[in-house]
Amino acid sequence: MRRVAVTGFGAVSPIGVGREAFWAALAAGASGIGRITRFDCSTFAVQLAGEVRGSLDLPAPVRAVAERDPKVGFAFAAAAEALAAAGVARLAPASLLHLGTSLESFDLGALVFDERRDFRSVVEGRDLLQVPLDTAARLVAEAFGRPRRSLTNVSACAASAQAIGHGFAAVRSGEVELVLAGGFDSMINPLGVGGFQLLGALSTENDRGASACRPFDASRGGAVLGEGAAMLVLEPLEKARAEGRTVLAEVLGYGSTLDAHGLSAPDPEGRGAERAMRAALADAGLAPEAIGHINAHGTGTRLNDEVEAAAIRRVFAGTWQRIPVSATKSVTGHLIGAAGAIEAGACLLALVKGLFPPNPWLRKVAPGCELDHVTGTTARRFDGEHVLSNSFGFGGQNASLIFRRSHA
Amino acid sequence: MPPAAEVVVTGIGMVTPLGATAAESAAAWVAGTSARRAPVAELAGTSLAHLQAAVRAPLDAAARLGSRKMLKFMSESAVLGCVAAHEAAEAAGVRGRFNPGRVGLYSGIGMAGASLEDALPVITASLGASGRVESRIMGERGLAAANPLMSFKILPNMPACLVSIIEGLRGPNLIFTPWEGQAGAALLEGWKAVASGEVDCAVCGAADNPAHPAILVHLARSGRLPPGESVAAAAAYLVLERADTAGRDNRKVWAQLTSVGLEACDDEPADPLAGRMGRSFAAAPAVLLALACCLSVGAPPVSVVGVDRQRFSAEVRSRS
Repeated sequence: MRRVAVTGFGAVSPIGVGREAFWAALAAGASGIGRITRFDCSTFAVQLAGEVRGSLDLPAPVRAVAERDPKVGFAFAAAAEALAAAGVARLAPASLLHLGTSLESFDLGALVFDERRDFRSVVEGRDLLQVPLDTAARLVAEAFGRPRRSLTNVSACAASAQAIGHGFAAVRSGEVELVLAGGFDSMINPLGVGGFQLLGALSTENDRGASACRPFDASRGGAVLGEGAAMLVLEPLEKARAEGRTVLAEVLGYGSTLDAHGLSAPDPEGRGAERAMRAALADAGLAPEAIGHINAHGTGTRLNDEVEAAAIRRVFAGTWQRIPVSATKSVTGHLIGAAGAIEAGACLLALVKGLFPPNPWLRKVAPGCELDHVTGTTARRFDGEHVLSNSFGFGGQNASLIFRRSHA
Repeated sequence: MPPAAEVVVTGIGMVTPLGATAAESAAAWVAGTSARRAPVAELAGTSLAHLQAAVRAPLDAAARLGSRKMLKFMSESAVLGCVAAHEAAEAAGVRGRFNPGRVGLYSGIGMAGASLEDALPVITASLGASGRVESRIMGERGLAAANPLMSFKILPNMPACLVSIIEGLRGPNLIFTPWEGQAGAALLEGWKAVASGEVDCAVCGAADNPAHPAILVHLARSGRLPPGESVAAAAAYLVLERADTAGRDNRKVWAQLTSVGLEACDDEPADPLAGRMGRSFAAAPAVLLALACCLSVGAPPVSVVGVDRQRFSAEVRSRS
């Protein structure tokens, strides 16, 4: 089995575009959450989200698609940054592209109804109503070379963590020589926000602004949507070192499980989450005491946070009081299909920079959410070896990843 | 990587235009039956009225699944996928034979589409005077017209999550979308996971409903449905396990999977099922593999080139 290095990372997020901008905001606890500007949300109960600000440098064909489906542009920009950081100009035929996301965007602007107001009204238009979810992978492959396989994974909030975990396994086993893996998403459109609003999962505390998402806090009021993309380049460690690449970290373990419990709520005892963390530890060959930092799924919803905290306390029964826990959705919002990848990036950078990102709005830990939370707005020093990132999906899909500090 | 263990198929489920079960679908294929096609009612009177979809075989999903309650959460793809997966899992005796945490679920799913019954009330209640959707109106009254369960029917991971809940599967999982190649990856990953020992059993397959009017319009407008071709809603799932566990438990073995492959290619899309069944896109690799495992002779070749320009192929050694 080969060791697997992360040699490139790219990020497009509500708190910054590009790896260093993303980290600078994360370390300072600077929130990217604010009032939705992408559409008129004045009549929606949910009016807050973490939007990507500013424009991206995209080639014309990608820009044309991104005007209809912003997440495709996010994916392309993050992929370009990650590949450039790794010094990879082209994806070779022995490579794998695996992206995670959640749901096709439906182009409401392409719908023009006549007086019949039925489906036949919109049939005669020429615009495409949907952007298929493999569009981002196709555009990346067209620009950077076609890999052996291009995969698009839709495991909800666990999708991009799964993409990274699956890519890690493919490099480790020798199946491929390089993987570009990550996630991209944006649900910040009327149907996306409206759909989540109907599910009751989002914060409606619109007056809270930047501090609307408060994972593990007693006053937490729900999740806040975010958008963006993050991509990692994975390669065999020995090869990366031999070729003089900078190794950001090693991927050491991956666990994937299903709750098999319910569609909208997690197993109330968090057994699926617990098994994902235990599986990642076993895959990494580590005892729980080896973990020095956890980036929690931490959505800010009543049920999820309590269930996750309890699962962490069970897995790390002897040490949880001394494992600093970050919850970066507090500043990025929930990137859904891209959440696992952006949070994997937060873990990588925590290792590279030697700092834990804070959970800045956590004032009073909720009963049942007791952990060693990183509070305040200043990142804490971190010199540990291993970090664990959790991603738990709507529908009961769970993924945990473990990264190790690089000593190269 | 070469497989470390012999992988066999001990359960097959299918819902196709040729039949509502694996046995019916396989028998109809051998008999040379072609699916009956019909125009799509929602396209009547439009410039796309010529498009046709295969007529689904009669299916009592509530009876097959033993529950009516779950159906309200299901899209058509989810119904087909859950019924096919249940048929396969029951045939293989998955529940009770394996530690649920050692059973993986690897699924493919086609493009997402809410039923028009769910989507149109929201959209038409959100129209402004110009006939276009206005978000302000959607917030005011469009969302109030929504089926609160609509999100469950749209999200593309839901069919697989429903399978996991119905069958009690708790192991590793992946869900790929939306074309033949990605769905073929689900079969490949299931095969690899069993062969490598990552799981003891894999439930793998795919479902697609390209006959959904909005998806059909997309396929036609984007050129992904060549002129003269029809579409078919279908699903197929297979249960894979090691030959030694099947032998230990004295299970019927349908076939051995000696190789499964997925590679990028430059070939034009090609689906051996298209002529007799219609294009079922994401479901096609699973239906092809299921037919090949059911039939010792007369099965179509297990090779499909998707619109995503990836070739899925498999070699099957029949045991039936």
